Amino acid sequence: MKRLRSQGGFIEFQLSPSESLLFAAILSRYPCLPPAHQPLSKGRKLPDAAADQRLLDEALAEQRRENKQQLDLLLADPKRFREHGADWRLSLTPGDVEWLLQILNDIRVGSWVRQGSPEDPYQHLTKKTAVDLELMEMSGYFQMNLLAGLNASSLPGRPNQ
Amino acid sequence: MLEVMAETAAPELLPGISLDAEEKSRSSLEPGYVVICWNDPVNYMEYVTHVFQIVFRWPLQKARRHMLQVHEQGKSALARESLEKAEHYVHLLQKYSLHATMERDE
Repeated sequence: MKRLRSQGGFIEFQLSPSESLLFAAILSRYPCLPPAHQPLSKGRKLPDAAADQRLLDEALAEQRRENKQQLDLLLADPKRFREHGADWRLSLTPGDVEWLLQILNDIRVGSWVRQGSPEDPYQHLTKKTAVDLELMEMSGYFQMNLLAGLNASSLPGRPNQ
Repeated sequence: MLEVMAETAAPELLPGISLDAEEKSRSSLEPGYVVICWNDPVNYMEYVTHVFQIVFRWPLQKARRHMLQVHEQGKSALARESLEKAEHYVHLLQKYSLHATMERDE
């Protein structure tokens, strides 16, 4: 996967056929993080801790439902994800990239949680955790390529470097 | 973050969390809530830096400084805000699946 160009408000990425298959397969696993995974606070001194936590959990759950729908639309949109000769093209706005980074990191962190949140997943590798480790690594691969593409683009959306 | 990132969960905001000068000056005036990002072994350092830039509109240097504080010290206090604003920031950081919480500043 590599960034080809930034043009007309879009960043265009090139994917090999195998990368395009992996990309779609990995994204189909979204969401990976369990609901109510994160506490709002580690302490117990928020005024309405339980209510605030519930609101946060609901907001994140709703966000995930919307993300899943948007993801299906993205992968089915030939203007944004399409075969091009021997390769594939992915055309994203900086906002799309930002959003996909969130999606991919949900998958990355979620697959890490499913392995038992190990300090070093390779030290605790088993048949059971191997698939999740691969999912974690591949989502990280796409994440870093999207981030590199975003950094290399001259499109607006980033604070001063 | 991808390398060290030992889990250093603690029940409250602990000594050793340092705030930037502007946050320190405000802390003497009003009570508030501190937004904290905690270390983990899964998030990439570049990704964490990027998220700080986007969420707080920080320049790269400041975002990287806080990322390194998370990485090396186990946590970083990112902002000191009212309850509502702190919740907003925690929500944004958690949308990116970072390990972020808010703690009462005491």
